[in-house]
Amino acid sequence: MKPGQKPKAKRWLFYFGAGYLILLVVLALSTPLFKYQYADKVGAVLLPPSGQYWFGTDQQGRDVFTRVIFGARMSLFIGLSVQMLCLILGVLVGVGSSMGPKWLQQLLQRITDAMFAFPDILLAILIIGVWPRSLMGDGILPVIVALTITSWPAVARIVKNQVASLKDREFIQSTMALGAPMPYVVFKHLLPQLWGLLLAITMVDLAGTILAESSLSFLGIGITPPLPSWGSMINDGRGYINSNPMLLLWPCLVLSLTIFSLNFVGDALREMTDPRSK
Amino acid sequence: MADELAPGDQATVLAGEKASFQTVSRLREQLGLNRAWPIRYGEFVTKAARFDFGNSYYGTKEPVNKVIAKNLPMTMTIAFLAISLAALIGITLGTLSGSNENKPQDRAILILSTLGVTIPTFVLSPIFVIICTQNLDLLPGQWKTTRVAPDIFYLIMPILVLAARPTAQITRLCRASIIEALQQEYTKLAVAKGVSRARLIFKHALRNAILPVTTSIGSNFGILLTGSFIVEQAFLLPGIGREAIEAIQKGDTPLIQATTLLAGAMFVLVNLAVDLIVPWLDPRVREAQV
Repeated sequence: MKPGQKPKAKRWLFYFGAGYLILLVVLALSTPLFKYQYADKVGAVLLPPSGQYWFGTDQQGRDVFTRVIFGARMSLFIGLSVQMLCLILGVLVGVGSSMGPKWLQQLLQRITDAMFAFPDILLAILIIGVWPRSLMGDGILPVIVALTITSWPAVARIVKNQVASLKDREFIQSTMALGAPMPYVVFKHLLPQLWGLLLAITMVDLAGTILAESSLSFLGIGITPPLPSWGSMINDGRGYINSNPMLLLWPCLVLSLTIFSLNFVGDALREMTDPRSK
Repeated sequence: MADELAPGDQATVLAGEKASFQTVSRLREQLGLNRAWPIRYGEFVTKAARFDFGNSYYGTKEPVNKVIAKNLPMTMTIAFLAISLAALIGITLGTLSGSNENKPQDRAILILSTLGVTIPTFVLSPIFVIICTQNLDLLPGQWKTTRVAPDIFYLIMPILVLAARPTAQITRLCRASIIEALQQEYTKLAVAKGVSRARLIFKHALRNAILPVTTSIGSNFGILLTGSFIVEQAFLLPGIGREAIEAIQKGDTPLIQATTLLAGAMFVLVNLAVDLIVPWLDPRVREAQV
């Protein structure tokens, strides 16, 4: 079903979500043009929103609008890196566990199943917990590794199920009967069928990854300050909930809208690409 | 556990920056960090099997067991109260919504549950705090060591925040299952027999819809455990989650091991309980097992 054929409310949500995401990406990419950078102190602390400081200033006198957009940059960077790695790992494992030799299929299947036995973010927290202190750096690498490890099995499972049902279809069977080598079949015939679905799933999973990154930063074990992250900004803002609730409002609002939009756009894309999920 | 593989040496951190080489190596020996990791791992497993997790590296060097015993009741209380609340509200709303498909009450519940799934726990908790403690002055904002009201008043908000996401998930699943059950042949037959609406929904549709919902409670408990880390941090509750985060920030290995092992064990136990409940609810599964 195309978005044009959907009920009005849903179509509006799709356009709103897509518009919001485009705006966010454009802003995040244009940060070099900004007047302030994320760690610049502009002078007065805890200013209310004004023409000069759109979202006000925080407890250290930094421009909140700048930090929220740099936070978006951080979230999108981590989210997209994780999704890219998950896609590569997931496609490799998914194809391997449905097309590979029997022993490889069994092995990959067991590993994927074992990964599902852990509650998601708990495993990420454990991985960051065992990361050597001295190699922590700014926290970006540990977060990317931890979230990739926790989220690839979902992609692998979907790819595996899709490939397993596709490989018995006639066009694949006949290509193989003609003696086409396995990599050719996989890359030329199997994967092109999956890109649409994978794109939709990546959108929805991206929401989960951004949420997980914010959760880790909120708990104080994600991105290290002064690097901005929505999660740590929310955690900082909690201290000023009485005196300056606006400080808390902005990252909460932008984060929630991002999660919202990714879910709506992802669901709409999935409905377009996967006829079964109506 | 994986903690043992971490190459970061806690002895250097513990001894402080100015410690001499001798102090560091003495400390390393005391903590047993000078031995190879397979040996240490073997030791950890045999000790953990007897519920001995060693002593914390910091503070008064309390045995980890004591730290856990102090914090476990809080996490258990909020986690089990929240999952019960989520199941209760989720099934009620899901049934109400699924049996009135596309009516106003269904739309309202659907919007609410979509919000519940997408709004993160740590965004929800400040919203609750602002509404309940700032504007209404109803509930205490966070756990205090000197309490003036009964415990339950301090726990209402954390439990509500914690239950929000699982409630929304269970509602959506229950709604979908009810709708599906109402389209089956057996419901059509029941309608043709002249079964009353209430009996149809509770006896025929809900009885079948409850099975996938029960199974989902297991995976929802995982979401909830992660949520309890955040809620304990947000409301300063003395629980396992807060202890684990503090341990990670300080690098307190024995405590990290014990807390994550415990959280994993709780998750496995709840899923085991779910697996035991399903055959009790579903005669088909029960017969397949015999």
